[in-house]
Amino acid sequence: MAQDNKETEESDKSRRTFLKAMGIVGIGVLAIGSLRGVIQNIIPPLSNAVSSFPTLTIVSTSGKPINTTDIQVNNPTPFLFDYPLQNEPNFLLRLGDINNKDMAIKSVKVNDPGDGNSFVSAPGVGPYNSVIASSAICQHLGCVPPKIEFYPPSSSSFPGKIHCSCHGSTYDPYTGFSIVTGPTQHPLPNTQLSYDSSSDTYKVMGMVGPTIYGHINDLSGGSALPSTSTTQVSSS
Amino acid sequence: MFKSKNKEYYPGEKPLLEKIMNDPQPVPRKVPDYMRKKGGAWYWTGAMIMIVFIYEVITGLILLLYYQPSNAYVSTETFLNSTPYGSIIISTHLYGAYAMIVLIYLHLLRNLFVGAYKRPRESQWITGVLLLVLTIAVGFFGYSMSGDVLSADATDVGRGIAQATPVIGTYLMLIFFGSGTSISLFTRMLGWHIVLAAGVGILFAVHFFIAEYNTIMPSHKDANYKAPAIDKDDGTYKPWYPYNLMYMMQYLFLVFGFLVLIPSVLAILPNVPDLFSPFPSVSPSSPLAVNVPAYPPWFLLFVYKALDFKMLLGIGPFWGTVIFAGAPLIYLLIVPYVHTNRSLLMRDNPIPVSFGILGLVYYVGLSAWGALAPGVPISDGPVLLFFVLPFVFIVGLSLFVAKLVRENKITMPNIGRLFFTLTILAFAAFGSGMLIIASVSHPVALYLIPMILLLMVTAISLAVAYAMIKGVHLRDESIEEKHMSKNGYTFAASGFIMASIIVLFEITIIPPTSPSNNALYGIGLGLILLIIGAFIRIYRASVYGE
Repeated sequence: MAQDNKETEESDKSRRTFLKAMGIVGIGVLAIGSLRGVIQNIIPPLSNAVSSFPTLTIVSTSGKPINTTDIQVNNPTPFLFDYPLQNEPNFLLRLGDINNKDMAIKSVKVNDPGDGNSFVSAPGVGPYNSVIASSAICQHLGCVPPKIEFYPPSSSSFPGKIHCSCHGSTYDPYTGFSIVTGPTQHPLPNTQLSYDSSSDTYKVMGMVGPTIYGHINDLSGGSALPSTSTTQVSSS
Repeated sequence: MFKSKNKEYYPGEKPLLEKIMNDPQPVPRKVPDYMRKKGGAWYWTGAMIMIVFIYEVITGLILLLYYQPSNAYVSTETFLNSTPYGSIIISTHLYGAYAMIVLIYLHLLRNLFVGAYKRPRESQWITGVLLLVLTIAVGFFGYSMSGDVLSADATDVGRGIAQATPVIGTYLMLIFFGSGTSISLFTRMLGWHIVLAAGVGILFAVHFFIAEYNTIMPSHKDANYKAPAIDKDDGTYKPWYPYNLMYMMQYLFLVFGFLVLIPSVLAILPNVPDLFSPFPSVSPSSPLAVNVPAYPPWFLLFVYKALDFKMLLGIGPFWGTVIFAGAPLIYLLIVPYVHTNRSLLMRDNPIPVSFGILGLVYYVGLSAWGALAPGVPISDGPVLLFFVLPFVFIVGLSLFVAKLVRENKITMPNIGRLFFTLTILAFAAFGSGMLIIASVSHPVALYLIPMILLLMVTAISLAVAYAMIKGVHLRDESIEEKHMSKNGYTFAASGFIMASIIVLFEITIIPPTSPSNNALYGIGLGLILLIIGAFIRIYRASVYGE
């Protein structure tokens, strides 16, 4: 009898341990199952605000298309326009030399040390091939104008630069907005323009280079622009 | 019956949960009289944090009625400029957050130095460290909600750090900062600010009940200088009501008083640096934004400066943050399990004590560096010097002094007071340093006079500290302190209350039409709160003889 009791006790004990383990497994299953729902729920759904890069005519605040003469050469407060989505400013620059004479900007290969890739920069457009655009959101930690600014060429030893006063990143607009000094690890994304010589107007068509700062891809993470045919400029 | 049980074991022998559930203890506990005497404030740093938290919840709920995530900056500015007394609510809410963080650091250092992390308070210590992290996170989201240029910069950096997290970076960014639109960003930040603040409240309750269970950390003498330090009521403790309640009320009014007074005074001073301004800065799209350095809130400046170190550029902002904020955090979390010796004395725990001092030096040093040279890249040489020199000096000196004290080669009779004087010295020196910089850049009397006063405080505390080390006794212990007569107390108390009525009259005639008028109102309100605090002190002295 005593032997029996002991055995029953032993098996009771192991049964209890087993049941406890099962209980823990059940709670674990519940935790994992509900965690999936909670986590997936708090991640906001992310869909592209627009399906592809829109082609937009750059217009002034009055809605009139911008002509070449509207864009000043080496303007230290260049036009800004939103592209491809709202709240994504881009510089519209007309680059020149130190005497404010238009300089043709050629397409070059730009290295992106941040991810080891390289891309072919957007060439200058317009009658002198001197009009160029880029994202105006610093690739280091996302500062926007007026913290990131265009400094026109002031001497032969200082060709124009784009400099961000937040943490000191500098970009060279003459060579595809490549990195001059860190701490940024990426060049500025280039905004592709096209020029219609018959009407002397500029269109923006797409982006090349790294993804715009703070975005997972260029077409998501924001609201589409109000117009599907134009984007308005403002002065920085 | 409880008493005899308590004598047999101390909390910590059984699992904490089992003890709390099966063996409930009176809450709130009675406490020894020395906690309400001079110098007893060090036992109430946690209570002060709770008082500030209550203030934050009240003002935060008022702010919630006005805040519009769809229109963050404009709604902030409207609340500030057009809502009656709005500027007091918003500036004291900001300064309450600052005060909470400062007090948490103070609470942490105090408990590190007295060995309060030791057995049986490990879980209490760890919940405390987690509360620090949560509070800083709440502070970050709150600071970022105003939508001004500083908050935009802080958000961009936070977003960059979140996105750079390996594997889950994208999701972290989406979870905390929304899908990218402005409204999604500010809605999420408002949400997280409140969710995490609620988390602070819940974790604080856990922290508090563990603390009540483990009893207060008694004085070293009562604890026999050894862990486990358990406070035992020898039957002489006064009841909680009214003695401790009045004491807490005194703190409540004094803390609220300073919370209202300090930002209100800063609000009418000209040229207050952006880091300490009680008001939001300009909008990020304003042309004036270019003049505002891309500062994070001051309590995150240390990470911000660390990201300027050239050695960290290659590894990016995420790993920089992990190293500079994560390493001290991990140390704090493992402190109770690393330093397990039973002595509570500093001389037997030179490593945690010196790490505490070192942490303070790095924190203040990196913050000041970040404030004075924002965004200037620093090469490896100065960085190594900045970290290695204090490390060798402070840790080496602490080990050396601890050894000498242990071997009775030096004794410091006034060690407690010396410590207090050195604290004042450190703050006065830091403050006067800041004021010297302020007076050089803006030579106005408003900065010049406090600078001279603070320099005097620095010099006096330096002289006092020197005298203490040399062994000069400040006070003859045999002379008894003379107390005021009962009539004197009554007279002083009525004088204070009369003064508060006069202040009330003054502030009721100020119309709440501008932030500067509100600031005057806030100064008056702060004074009334301080007067009531002082009145309770007098009441306690007169009626309870404390």
